[in-house]
Amino acid sequence: MIEVQQLSKRFMLGRGRKARVVQAVADVGFVAENGRITGLLGPNGAGKTTTLRMVAALIAPDTGRILVDGIDVGRHPHAALARMGVLSDARGLYPRLTALENIVYYGRLHGMTEAAAIARADLLAEMLDMKPLLERRTEGFSQGERMKTALARAVVHDPPNLILDEPTNGLDVVATRALRDALRRLRDEAGKCIVFSTHIMQEVERLCDRVIIVSHGRTVAEGTVAALNAQCAERDFEETFVRLAFTAEERAHA
Amino acid sequence: MNAWVVFRKELIDALRDRRTLFMVLLSSVAIGPVVLIALSALVAGIERRAEERTVIVAGIEHAPTLRNFLERHTYRIEAAPADYEKQLVSQSLGDPVLVVMKDFEAELARGEPPLVEIVSSSANQRAGAAEGRLTRLLRAFVNEQSMLRLTFRGIAPAALEVIDLQERDLANPQSRAARLTGMVPFFVLMAVLYGALNAALDTTAGERERGSLEPLLMNPASRVSLVVGKWGAVAAVGMLIALLSCFSFLPAQGLLRSETLAAMFQFGLREVALFIALLAPLAAALAAAMMAIAIRCKTFKEAQANNTVVILGISLLPLVTVFDQGGEAPWHLWTPALGQVTLMNRVLKGEPVGVVDVGIPLAVCTLIAVGGIALVARQLRTAAVR
Repeated sequence: MIEVQQLSKRFMLGRGRKARVVQAVADVGFVAENGRITGLLGPNGAGKTTTLRMVAALIAPDTGRILVDGIDVGRHPHAALARMGVLSDARGLYPRLTALENIVYYGRLHGMTEAAAIARADLLAEMLDMKPLLERRTEGFSQGERMKTALARAVVHDPPNLILDEPTNGLDVVATRALRDALRRLRDEAGKCIVFSTHIMQEVERLCDRVIIVSHGRTVAEGTVAALNAQCAERDFEETFVRLAFTAEERAHA
Repeated sequence: MNAWVVFRKELIDALRDRRTLFMVLLSSVAIGPVVLIALSALVAGIERRAEERTVIVAGIEHAPTLRNFLERHTYRIEAAPADYEKQLVSQSLGDPVLVVMKDFEAELARGEPPLVEIVSSSANQRAGAAEGRLTRLLRAFVNEQSMLRLTFRGIAPAALEVIDLQERDLANPQSRAARLTGMVPFFVLMAVLYGALNAALDTTAGERERGSLEPLLMNPASRVSLVVGKWGAVAAVGMLIALLSCFSFLPAQGLLRSETLAAMFQFGLREVALFIALLAPLAAALAAAMMAIAIRCKTFKEAQANNTVVILGISLLPLVTVFDQGGEAPWHLWTPALGQVTLMNRVLKGEPVGVVDVGIPLAVCTLIAVGGIALVARQLRTAAVR
């Protein structure tokens, strides 16, 4: 379970006279339950990536608190990271290592033995349908193959919580469907807590049990797709999203 | 523990970069012996000419006395080509030319000093090297003639020998050879630099460019352990290339064409071991310094451009000993690269290397390495998200 409370973060852009302050996240809060897929939906620049980076202890929030299975990320980042698998926006692989070596490397960094990491990689390869990829160097992998390898690498230590930042970016239909299937299986078979950020409505409708809508660095709405539609008296989720995520002024300019 | 995992991974990764390794091996491991062998061919050529005892003379027909003297000393006399001046300037003629004037014999008989020229060009290295030999030969002729004249007038030749001048060379064979082998440390130094360079950039700026730094930091490993593992691997690759470079000089010795040079160039396992011991701290310092510069760069290319400062510095510092003729100064040992080259040259000359001499560069390198590692560790998180 991941609890995010009143998170905020400012960045300083530029230097000297050109410096300006950007409020990337102003007030984001949500709870992601175990055995659920929680979608973080928002337009580009809403603060989704910054929020997830703070959850993954990569940047420290200015205010607010993040608890992963009750562990405070700010105080015990390593203990919290051990309970999280993060597939971030950047998911570079090592091109001169095989897919297996890429996965096992992260397993070892999580304190697993070589044998345990290899066994787990085999299991994940079965699940993600990437067995033939394991012994190949990742140089020249397709986007879908890269994503699978990166996902296997992120969950090699079998974490109870899974965080994915725009995982379908750059994937074709087949790869997207494969990813969705994998996430459903992780939710249903292992009861994982999955947080999933995206700006694509269909993703959320097809996959998420619960949706958090983030806009201008704030949580503006949350609930199931049906509940949010009902809240706005809309039948189309896209209309609901636009109503919730954008101000009247922004909608007029669009 | 984590540092060891990172070290192993980075080392495997670097060693799999075959194309880069091949280029590094070609440029810093093969070139040293090649240059050494080329140089030995040059020295062998000079030696051979010295042994040939040939004198190139223009107008020897005007000087039977001189011819008699040269032939008595078993020199072969060769007539100078007509365009010898041009050939000397264009360096196609490698010997100085002795020019004898038409009335040499008559003037000599009258007791007037005839004009004899030794024509050479100071820009022509080969001719310059043989010039001293020719001058000494002519002095011997002058000596002989004056002795004869004194004896003829009934004066003991000893009257002219006010002092008994003898030469004594203090240089041992190794230090004589060091003039030529002085470039060996330079090539080994370059091997460390170029060996470590690619790995240093790949583990920092390369990691950023690939987008693999951010996921790496989401592992529960401390930043210092990640950096130490990476740094260890970079330094190890640098040392590996240096070791190969050192060993490449061992078989190269067998190919030396100059026998005296081969006899003087003593580069055995002991020298290799001392070189490696001297270079290991430098590899550690260079790895940390180059990584500290590269971590600030977003791309491999940018990091390469920024690291030219280090590359240039390390390549130029050893040249201080060439430009500065004042000999070894105390600050040399305190300067990275220059200190190592100085000590390696001492090893080649067979001079003693004391504990303090090794301690100073070691301390400097340790300081740079620790500083570099701390800088990279501090920059790592900012680098990952920017």
